Amino acid sequence: MATADVSVTDNRDTTTSSGYKSRKYILGVIVAALALVPVLQWQTTNNLNFWLNLLIIIFLWITMSTSWNIIGGYAGYISLGHNVFAAIGGYLAAMLLLRLDIPVFVTAPFAGLVAMVVGFVIGLITLRVRGPAFIISTIALVLVLRTIIDNWDFLGGVRGLTLPLIGLDVQLVKIPFYYAMLLVALLSIYFSYWIRHSKFGLGLRAISQDEIKAETAGIPTKMYKVLAYAASAFFIGVAGALWSQYVTFVDPGTYLIILFGARPVLMTLLGGKGTVAGPVVGAALVILATEFSESQFGGTELNVIGVGVVMIIVLLFFPDGLVGSLRRAGRLPALLDWD
Amino acid sequence: MSLLEIDGVVAGYGRGPDILRGVDLTVEEGEVQCIIGPNGAGKSTLLKTIAGLLRPRKGRVVFQGEVLNGLRPDQIIRRGIAFLPQERSLFPDMTVLENLRMGGYALEDKSLMSERIEEAFAQFPILKERYKQKARTLSGGQQQMLVMGRALVLRPHLVMLDEPSLGLAPQIVAQLFEIVRGFKDQGMTVLMVEQNARQGLNCADRGCVLDLGQRVFDGPADGILDDPRIQELYLGTQKKAETS
Amino acid sequence: MIADLPQIIVTGLALGGLYALMASGLTLIFGVMRIVNLAHPAFIFISAYITWKLFTDLSIDPLVALAVTMPVMFVFGMIVYKLFFAREADNPRYIEITVLTTFALALIIEGVLGFIFKGTVRSTNPPYSQQAFFIGDIFLSRAQLYAGLIGIGLIAFLWVILQYTRIGYAIRATTQNRSAAQVVGVNVERTSMIAFGLGVAMAGAAGSLFSFVFTFFPGGHWEWLAILLALIVLGGMGSLPGAVIGAYLLTIASVFVNDQIGFKWGPMTFFLALFIVLMVRPQGLFGSKIEAT
Repeated sequence: MATADVSVTDNRDTTTSSGYKSRKYILGVIVAALALVPVLQWQTTNNLNFWLNLLIIIFLWITMSTSWNIIGGYAGYISLGHNVFAAIGGYLAAMLLLRLDIPVFVTAPFAGLVAMVVGFVIGLITLRVRGPAFIISTIALVLVLRTIIDNWDFLGGVRGLTLPLIGLDVQLVKIPFYYAMLLVALLSIYFSYWIRHSKFGLGLRAISQDEIKAETAGIPTKMYKVLAYAASAFFIGVAGALWSQYVTFVDPGTYLIILFGARPVLMTLLGGKGTVAGPVVGAALVILATEFSESQFGGTELNVIGVGVVMIIVLLFFPDGLVGSLRRAGRLPALLDWD
Repeated sequence: MSLLEIDGVVAGYGRGPDILRGVDLTVEEGEVQCIIGPNGAGKSTLLKTIAGLLRPRKGRVVFQGEVLNGLRPDQIIRRGIAFLPQERSLFPDMTVLENLRMGGYALEDKSLMSERIEEAFAQFPILKERYKQKARTLSGGQQQMLVMGRALVLRPHLVMLDEPSLGLAPQIVAQLFEIVRGFKDQGMTVLMVEQNARQGLNCADRGCVLDLGQRVFDGPADGILDDPRIQELYLGTQKKAETS
Repeated sequence: MIADLPQIIVTGLALGGLYALMASGLTLIFGVMRIVNLAHPAFIFISAYITWKLFTDLSIDPLVALAVTMPVMFVFGMIVYKLFFAREADNPRYIEITVLTTFALALIIEGVLGFIFKGTVRSTNPPYSQQAFFIGDIFLSRAQLYAGLIGIGLIAFLWVILQYTRIGYAIRATTQNRSAAQVVGVNVERTSMIAFGLGVAMAGAAGSLFSFVFTFFPGGHWEWLAILLALIVLGGMGSLPGAVIGAYLLTIASVFVNDQIGFKWGPMTFFLALFIVLMVRPQGLFGSKIEAT
């Protein structure tokens, strides 16, 4: 029994097939196309702000779910409260903007660092427990922070903080956010990809399969978990900071509700937990579906129901998510096989 | 017709490989049969499959002429097969008396149950002394007595024991095999798996050797004990300490 | 200031019974199935809304409505179990899947309640909800007293079921050692279903009482989730007496915080207690370790 056969497989034996060769170029074209979308702003008489906004939201959630996937997917520690890091980033950037007049584009990386440090400290405390105890502790964390912010007038209390618009006209106002969010999303995906293929990532996946065996195999599980938790906080903090000025407010009712914490979990599950592409696919699908249903039916109740129903269907019938299920069936297109 | 007939049974855990690879085995009414074999031979898996905790992938388990495949464990126990697993399957926060009552859970007749509990107390006075104590506070030997007492309450047609001597002190092991013989005297048929092969076979009427998921030998217990090939392959020259 | 102490204790004791009832089903369900039922407060809210509907449309007293909500929620609970949890028993990702399933259920319930009843803050107001007793200077709301006493009464009833009936033996056996229960002939699937139903029936009873003691709106259950989790984590998850003791301790503590520090910090008592107990002593006062292997 003492043998440490942590069976983490690497599914890269198909890399040679033709789909994989062209993958790099196709992905490059997609990124280039995304980078060029704002240019069309000058080509059309109607501005593209609706589409830019939609893409910004998708980039935001890709960042959220991709980052969440590092601890929740690779390491298997389900956090229902990663929105605390978005709140930390958002509030920090908002305060620096309001008090010191530093734009969020400057403070966002700093907000990410702070979120990461806070994540490290919280991780040291909460990752000593696992299973249901850990999951519950992440909910407790959200509510503790929410109660503090609700009652802290310095941070605006329940009403939150209102931020000024950046001084650009309506044609241009979304563009800096578009590029910033796109950059953050791409970096977070690359970061996730890099972790997935590192020794560190291998260790995390061993932890998610059998922590005790991973420990006996010589993996410093404790430190790995805490680092994964902190790493997952970084880009969420950055995105939270950008988001605060994009929507021109931060308040506990937006950042610190359970639904915010649940969304990255849903997206990652839907797309495929523990895969690189899964959270990206999941985030895009959930946002498109949500925006569609909001424009068609309005009302947030239906959205809440929708999130719940999709989540249950995925859990009961496709626990490996889209990417995972397709791979299991051997039908995952090379374009989406980033693992 | 034999009491229990195992017919080409293939079984394993979850999506894992086959542990039992086509086992044939018969248990006759009223005998004590002891299954021996090396670790990983599938001895426990076989008992679990008969008890309904695992479903056979192939083959049949036939008890008193009825095919048991696909029945739930609680349905199988109602047909008269009790299984005492390796890990002492007690309810730690229940009292000794409550544990004995759980032993009779499958009995319909409650007055019969209290009668049998009294009989169990008569056979194991230590349990009577401690009937109000929680099971977790008993010593290892006492816990095994409680497990045996529970089997007495149900008094199944066939009782299956998985390594009953595991982790017990030598003098208690001797006492334990007495109790197993006692089961036979009370009209029960016994199918037992023992790592402690010599003592197990000494206590048994018939023996069976399982290796790599298949039956490789069976016959009268003393015949197995004397067979030089089996001695060399499965009994060792001396009794070995068990590992699991 | 500490002259308020008798008042604090009386209020805490009265409310504690209701809190304990709300938590009892949660701890039962965890004990038997190792499911952390994040939808438990949402179940309580379903019952509170049914009670509210019966009260406003048919003027049925919430205490009478209890006779409706308990059996309805019992059946509802068994159906939920059959639909979502019965097939998961052998899943290697059991904990993750079940927790997230209850989470999704809570979202669906929140959405459905919002859809039917809108976001308005509701409560029932039977006559006793505005009345109170005075014992010297001590004020005791009749609503809280009734809810507390009935809560404790129902927990005692549940305890008797667990301790003395056949299904009670089966439930306790399954809680303590699932495989051993199977081996002595307990149908653990059916037992789990009934236990889940019983736990949800307790939530049903709690919802009827809740409706005249507290106010509720569809999204309000999350806060209660953390409160209830705090009670059972402190008492030890899976332990019924633990839930009762946890409920009284934390209720009194939160009433004390309300009184001494400020009303808005009361809930923080539960959230912090939850966090600290999980980190320092995850098995709580009476439970066994809740970490999964």
